[in-house]
Amino acid sequence: MSGAPELETTGDGLARFLTGATGRATTVSDLRMASAGARRRNVLFTATTAGERRELVATIIPTADVQIQPVSVEAGAIRLGAEVGMPVAAVVADTDDPSWVGGPFFVSTLVDGESVPRQILRLVEADPALGPTLAHQCGAALARLHAAPLDRAPAGMEGPGDGHTPASFALEALREQMDELLQPSATFELAYRWLRDTAPGDDRVVVVHGDFRNGNLMVGPDGLRAVFDWEGSRLGAPMSDLAWMSVRMWRFRNDHLPVGGFAVVDDLRSGYEEAGGTWDDATYHWWKVLGTFRWGLGLAGQARQHLDGEFPSIVMAASGRRVAEMEHDVLMLLRGAWGRS
Amino acid sequence: MQDRPTAAELLRDIAATLDERILPLLSGNEQHQVRVAANLCRILEREARLGPDLETEERSLLGELLPDQPADAPLAELNAELARRVATSDDDEFLAGAHAALVALTGQKLAVNKPGYDRFDFAGEVPV
Repeated sequence: MSGAPELETTGDGLARFLTGATGRATTVSDLRMASAGARRRNVLFTATTAGERRELVATIIPTADVQIQPVSVEAGAIRLGAEVGMPVAAVVADTDDPSWVGGPFFVSTLVDGESVPRQILRLVEADPALGPTLAHQCGAALARLHAAPLDRAPAGMEGPGDGHTPASFALEALREQMDELLQPSATFELAYRWLRDTAPGDDRVVVVHGDFRNGNLMVGPDGLRAVFDWEGSRLGAPMSDLAWMSVRMWRFRNDHLPVGGFAVVDDLRSGYEEAGGTWDDATYHWWKVLGTFRWGLGLAGQARQHLDGEFPSIVMAASGRRVAEMEHDVLMLLRGAWGRS
Repeated sequence: MQDRPTAAELLRDIAATLDERILPLLSGNEQHQVRVAANLCRILEREARLGPDLETEERSLLGELLPDQPADAPLAELNAELARRVATSDDDEFLAGAHAALVALTGQKLAVNKPGYDRFDFAGEVPV
């Protein structure tokens, strides 16, 4: 691991950038890598300005070509979240300029707590009241985000596009992914036609987080402290955020507790409704099927990228053997859809 | 016929070697890759052991759904034909039958790839 010299360069770039962005001489020390995701690096550091020390985090996207959307949009979404009262790690500064630290990045405050899903479930085991509280807080946080005025959405934030509802847009993307499968899946064809035939016609869009789930939450014994990983934020259907946090992948083996493996749906729902959100059971279910299905296609896509040499990796290869898990989940969610079985 | 160890026995032993001898020597990304490789060996061990019976079962399930197809057609072709009909049929009776058969076919794949995963059936989460 050649982390040390790289981190030193990062520190220099961060100090120069923060000095310029805040207009006050800032030094950077105590750099350390936090858990690195697949694509982005989180670097923790101490910033000192006029003797005042602050613990901050730089989220760096190493190569511009894997970016889902500009960092300015992501940072703008986090700022909007803060503005409407969601718990977030406040953004200190951001830049789409890759020259400072080798990629676009944003700097936010460090929020203390637990973000590893299994550890969060351990906190909940230790305090059974925490699960419902947390789900309630998640519902309330999403209701506030979904109520944000659209003219406050960051410039450049993407939505379904002309002539599309959020549902029809998601379906079109799904079809494109299905057509790239190495072998056709009858289960996915069955799920696709069900999604197509029952798609919600609602064309209302709101700012959605896009990846709201156990794994992107900072939690303490007191409950939800921050929602992070906003790279998927966009204009979309409100129920898609609520459904995504209820798919089986994010229950971490606590399958009987649909909401992140720590609560029942009523806890999420009551938090959402009490904070002013409008819940719809059928649409929630529809997005749950879609999210599970899309994850299955993503796994199949990873196996394809391994096999065609685009991204050879034993981990990507193994994903191919996980597609059946998503097929099972989709089939279970569609029980009774055609009258029997 | 090969001499022993059989394919299943060897895959079981490769998985054990990776887990017990190699994993402790590694950390980080390398450890993760070897853990995944060991798990794939266990998947293939089950495939070597269960595969022949599962294929017979799969052929019989597909044969019932696609009675007009040649009984000895390759499984990949039968599965592709099922996908085509599921996409285009307007017969709810056929689709319900396909759903039931797909639950069983997916269960077969999971018996190899992740035994026990299909015990969970989302009871209470499916609209009635």
